[in-house]
Amino acid sequence: MAALGAVLLLLAFVTAAYAVAASVAGSRRHNARLIESGIGAFYTVSALMTVASGVIIYVFVAGDYSIRYVQRYSDSVQPLFYRIASYWGGLDGSVMFWVFLLSLFGAVAVKVNRERHRELIPYVVAIISVVEMFFLFLMVIHNNPFDTFLTESPVDGRGLNPLLQNFYMVIHPPMMYLGFVGATIPFAFGMAALITGHLDDSWLRAVRRWTMFSWFFLSLGLTLGMIWAYEELGWGGYWGWDPVENAGLLPWFTATAFLHSVLVQERRGMLRVWNVTLVILTFLLTIFGTFMTRSGVVQSVHAFGEDRELALYFTIFMVSTLIFSFGWVIYRLPLLKARHELDSWVSREAAFLANNWVLLFSALFVLFATMFPTITEAVSGERLTVGPPFFNRWMLPIGLILLFLTGVGPLLAWRKSTVINLRDQFLWPVVSAVVVSGVLVSLGVRVWSSGLCFGLSAFVVGTLMQEFIRGANVRRGMTGTDLLTAMIGLVSRNKRRYGGYIVHLGIVLMCLGFAGQGFSKDVQLLLKPGEEATVGDYKLHLDAIRVTDDGQKQMVTAHVTLSDTKGTALGQMHPAKWFYRKHEQEPTTEVAIRRAIAEDLYIVMPAFEIEDQTASVEVHINPLVNWVWMGFGVMAIGTGIALLPEGALGLAVATLPADAAAASLLVLSLLLFPSTARAQHVDTPNAQLQVFSPEVRQVTKKLACWCGGCSHLPVGECTCGHCALVKTEVTGLIKQGKTEKEILDFYVAKFGGQQVLSEPFNQGAGRLVWLVPYLTGLFGAITALVFAVRWSRRPALAGTAMAAEEDTALSARLDDELRDLD
Amino acid sequence: MKHKAIKIGLTSLVLVLAFGGLLYSTLAEGTEYYKHVDEVMGQPDGWYGKKLQLHGYVVPNSILKRKSSLEYRFQVQSNGQIVNASYTGVVPDTFKDDAEVVLKGSLSPEGFVVTPNGVMAKCPSKYEAKPGAASPSSKY
Repeated sequence: MAALGAVLLLLAFVTAAYAVAASVAGSRRHNARLIESGIGAFYTVSALMTVASGVIIYVFVAGDYSIRYVQRYSDSVQPLFYRIASYWGGLDGSVMFWVFLLSLFGAVAVKVNRERHRELIPYVVAIISVVEMFFLFLMVIHNNPFDTFLTESPVDGRGLNPLLQNFYMVIHPPMMYLGFVGATIPFAFGMAALITGHLDDSWLRAVRRWTMFSWFFLSLGLTLGMIWAYEELGWGGYWGWDPVENAGLLPWFTATAFLHSVLVQERRGMLRVWNVTLVILTFLLTIFGTFMTRSGVVQSVHAFGEDRELALYFTIFMVSTLIFSFGWVIYRLPLLKARHELDSWVSREAAFLANNWVLLFSALFVLFATMFPTITEAVSGERLTVGPPFFNRWMLPIGLILLFLTGVGPLLAWRKSTVINLRDQFLWPVVSAVVVSGVLVSLGVRVWSSGLCFGLSAFVVGTLMQEFIRGANVRRGMTGTDLLTAMIGLVSRNKRRYGGYIVHLGIVLMCLGFAGQGFSKDVQLLLKPGEEATVGDYKLHLDAIRVTDDGQKQMVTAHVTLSDTKGTALGQMHPAKWFYRKHEQEPTTEVAIRRAIAEDLYIVMPAFEIEDQTASVEVHINPLVNWVWMGFGVMAIGTGIALLPEGALGLAVATLPADAAAASLLVLSLLLFPSTARAQHVDTPNAQLQVFSPEVRQVTKKLACWCGGCSHLPVGECTCGHCALVKTEVTGLIKQGKTEKEILDFYVAKFGGQQVLSEPFNQGAGRLVWLVPYLTGLFGAITALVFAVRWSRRPALAGTAMAAEEDTALSARLDDELRDLD
Repeated sequence: MKHKAIKIGLTSLVLVLAFGGLLYSTLAEGTEYYKHVDEVMGQPDGWYGKKLQLHGYVVPNSILKRKSSLEYRFQVQSNGQIVNASYTGVVPDTFKDDAEVVLKGSLSPEGFVVTPNGVMAKCPSKYEAKPGAASPSSKY
């Protein structure tokens, strides 16, 4: 298997090389057959990478510990889910996963744009293939995930770091990679446009959606990372300006800037050099981010392997990309002349420009501060570092300026705003900001940064409301429906704009969450059972410190009873420390969080002493944290709307009776509401101290918990009362001398089916079940692809059909009205 | 055209100077030296009172904790040079004998005084986990 994987990677490298050569040669000689064969080779790379990924997942699932990578990141007791996730658990595999995703994305992008951007395609293929080649080269030469042990191979693996055995940590990296890889596609199109000289705005149209897509996944990846840090690391916050986090943030800044400035180019034909530059920068920053986290150039508290050789390869790749791409920009400068000049500084394009500068400055600042230790060491030989306070000091005002611009941008007209125009537009947003600030000051809010943030948020929300209501009113006047239906109609007519506004709303919610940190408190306590402490409005009473074991880990749990200052009980909380088998030296701190819209109560127990029964407990009160996550939810909805194919919402609204939209929205909001406040955290405070023999654990692991509440965890790993009974029963059966097979058969017979087994017998029909997750995944991927292809087509037909339904004169008038609002 | 170029040039110059100045002034307060124990303890006098991030390894059996408190005293070494450190607060999970640590704080003739939350133990990244090497720190 290892040999097969290695050969596949080699083959992929060779095929990618052929794709580069054939496409470039074909394009230069105008040889359609060569180009075709290049594209064919390009598709083949994705096929090869898919098979290779299948192989690596297979070796993980099958537990082939003769492969170093498998041995290092998984072991035999790991659940299937984490074994698959171990694919991207380490450096070698994550590089491979990157190439896999890139080859898939590239194939889709080429397939979709093949007809429409015929002239660009050969170079798109070539550029993407070169990037693939670089990473494949790294794998083949430097860290091949299929390397095997040369001597005797171990019988079991080391296991994935327990800290990473968390749902968010499993899906966080793939989301980040989707974002990173997504940024390569716009880069490829941008470079193809530069090389071929087809620098009209058509390449922008091809990449707009991709950039939005990549931006969305970057945001998702960052948010998941924050949730993970918040729930798992136990220091009470979610963002520590660690180099690794910054690496993900850098391309996010430039991608955000691009999404805004691309509008200016579409509308006014300006900022053309700027847009190409942003696309190139975003790509370079994704590579740089990978480089920074993998090669150890920046020392952080993370023990990243310092890998000089890898650093060298990356440096060579980045420097040559930099020279190559900006070389082409300079060469094509005459073709990139702006079609218009900036008419006035009081215009929307100026606001966008300001937004872009601030975003780019943020990226450069974060880059500078992250690299600061490396820079100072290179310059003076002294390693100087800057900490989170330094970042916060700079990024706080920058964030406030961005928030302000978010509110200002939509209020300004394109080209030039007149004074009347300004008064008319700014009145209500400013009033709402002033009112909110006034109320806050009178309530005694004294944290200036947070207060300012709240005021600005009110300003932005005022702007957004005004935009929606004015637009909807225009539409209502024409269609005669209620306001809400008109609003949905409005959104469906201009999804990118109104979807964007919804994204802004999400940003505002997130900013509120960030501002809440200004009011956070934290206290360190030392408690003995029976003692009580008051923190903020909460009273904590330590009932006991208990030690339990569930077979996979030993758990030390503090039982804390919570009540408010009046004495009303608020429930139990259970901060704990877990000692996983084989990782006893690396206990994990399990956080107890009481979530609420207003504030989270967050308790950790970083240390304890069993002999004299003391627990040192850290209590954080984090106001408004959940707004960050909710804000992201709103942002996701907005992005979804902006990404919808044209006519999608329009069709829905067109076939609905007038008030249906309002009613259904109401229902939807009711449905969504409770789901926002649910916590993921798993507490197993009721686990009892029970010791079962290894045989019992062995057998019970093969049985699924059928109590109905534990999502079919293996009995051996489940801690519910029901499973405790089963374990006792199994102990009895083993004492009777029954074999494992007999016991399993006993349960199958007792419950009349294999549903009680945690894994089906790997034979006959049982084998089919093993396939289900893969089939589901494959089906999902295919559906996603099909939709991506369909959505990316110009929906010319659908559009005309829609328009014909409406009175053309009316819709023309609506467009006029809407343009006035612009 | 020329006029415009001058305008843009001047604006950028002013902006760059302003930001440079700001950056310089804030950097002066924000920076800390990142040093190994042996670098500092070779010539300790020069480092008294300066903000430092000190890198080293916890000397085995040197960690003392006052009963029923969060006061710690311990020693950190690198390349044979040892410094006494004191700290009050919560230590990360991986803070133990031989752990590789980075301490934030300042040096005084009595030893190294660690600022609150200033103990960071090296945390294994998922990329390069070493068996037995440290893990989660209280600060990411």
